[in-house]
Amino acid sequence: MIDNRIYEQIERYLGGGMPAEEKAAFEALLQTDPRLATKVREHKQLLQAIQQYGQRQSLKQKLNNIHRSMEAEAAPVAVTPAPATPAMWQVFWKKHMQTVAVAASVSLLSVFGTLWSVQQLKEPVQQQSARYVELRREVEKIKQEQRALINGILNPEPEKVAPRPARFSGTGFAISSDGYLVTNSHVIAGADSVMVENKAGLKYKVTEVYRDKVHDLAILRIEDPSFEGFGKLPYTFKTDESDLGEKVFTLGYPREDIVFGEGSLSSASGFEGDTTAYQISIPLNPGNSGGPLLDDKGNLIGIISGKQAGQEGAAFAVKSAYLLKVISELPATDNFKLLTSPKYNSLSGHNRPQQLKKLKDYVFVVKVYN
Amino acid sequence: MKNSLYGTDEAIIRGIREDDERALAYMYKLYFPMISHFIMSNSGTDDEAKDIYQEGVIVFYEKIKDNSLELSCQIKTYLYSVCRRLWLKRLAEKGRYAVKMNDAEEYLPMEEDVQQHEENERQFGIMAEALAQLGEPCRSLLEDYYLNMQNMQEITEKFGYTNSDTAKNQKYKCLQRLKKMFFATYKPEI
Repeated sequence: MIDNRIYEQIERYLGGGMPAEEKAAFEALLQTDPRLATKVREHKQLLQAIQQYGQRQSLKQKLNNIHRSMEAEAAPVAVTPAPATPAMWQVFWKKHMQTVAVAASVSLLSVFGTLWSVQQLKEPVQQQSARYVELRREVEKIKQEQRALINGILNPEPEKVAPRPARFSGTGFAISSDGYLVTNSHVIAGADSVMVENKAGLKYKVTEVYRDKVHDLAILRIEDPSFEGFGKLPYTFKTDESDLGEKVFTLGYPREDIVFGEGSLSSASGFEGDTTAYQISIPLNPGNSGGPLLDDKGNLIGIISGKQAGQEGAAFAVKSAYLLKVISELPATDNFKLLTSPKYNSLSGHNRPQQLKKLKDYVFVVKVYN
Repeated sequence: MKNSLYGTDEAIIRGIREDDERALAYMYKLYFPMISHFIMSNSGTDDEAKDIYQEGVIVFYEKIKDNSLELSCQIKTYLYSVCRRLWLKRLAEKGRYAVKMNDAEEYLPMEEDVQQHEENERQFGIMAEALAQLGEPCRSLLEDYYLNMQNMQEITEKFGYTNSDTAKNQKYKCLQRLKKMFFATYKPEI
């Protein structure tokens, strides 16, 4: 009970409801009694805390009411009443939006980065594999010039003008006894003048009669007055398609000398499914373009045209049927009797070296000057 | 509620000082969208926006009531700065450090005010806990007497004590217990 009375006194003191006399006495007591002073201080603090707490509670209550009334005001504006709590995924999204964004961008970056770098690595191979290489030979000009120079030093004959070397070379072969030859259109592309020369050393100037860029064929005619005709052609032209796996061979000029190449017919269609060409497995080099492709019996079945870079043994030859088609579309001239000329084949029945011996005189190196 | 009535910051402050609830409500509604937008665009939710905004308003309100606020800026800026500070702290507590805040407004550093507020919050938290532990009827009794300002006579009748002395006695016992619990955890930071 003593305690109660003290507290009552303290409360009255703090509340300011103490008469002046009693207050003075109490304050005097506070001076002398430190325990009482502590009690008073603590009590004051406690009461303050309680009161502030109460105020805070009522203020919060007030704010909540305001908030509710504000939401109530806003609600009718919305067409559908907004859900009191946002959907789980919305909360989740808002909380983790940044993290998700970073993660997403990192993963996107790595995916596309990988794709890109893989693409980068693959690209050169693809480009190459997609490239069709035309096999006309760019003659090593410098080498020849050097050789000419050395020759000039060894044989100092100042008057003699060295013949200008050909810029490009390919192969061509006779298709009629009266001086028509065929080669690839790309061989004579951009030519100023064209010369043909065979293994026997016969050298003629030729002019372009017809060019078919689509089938990559070109017909040339010998313009030389000294030309007296090839004589009878040893091979015939095959009009129908040859079979897969047939043994085929060619002669050509991938270098200064004539070169024999042998393989088999590996596909009935050419580069990127081109049905006007065969795929053949003969090792070919620049300069082989325009060479004749013959089968075992000595039938001409195609004209070597190119190969696919980056692919082993994928070379192409234009089918002879298309050569015949091109010829038939030529404007008729008096002395062009190709279709009738090679009636029978003098190559069949001979072994390969014999065939080549007969054949080689009809295969020319086509020299292109520009 | 006429907007023109509280058209200026001074009018709002005067209103709050005079315990005009409409002034408080007006201000509350005026600035909530700003804070809500700020919180939501800095990975917060609707509820968190409400919490933070109310805390901010409380800081402001108590400053006004204290007469200790020397408002050197607009109410808008003050509220924004306090809420921004509070939200940064909240984020830090959640272990998520916002590297960069999406700020829509200019703001002032509000260290002191926010710290004061947090100290108060701590005290209130302890008080709330102490009161909760106190249990009935002590809690209601103390709340009625100290918060609702009922006199001992009313309390005696409400709680069915035989006379007001018993009620007083009971009240002191309760207060004593509350005091013990309160000061057991609360050490005022000096």
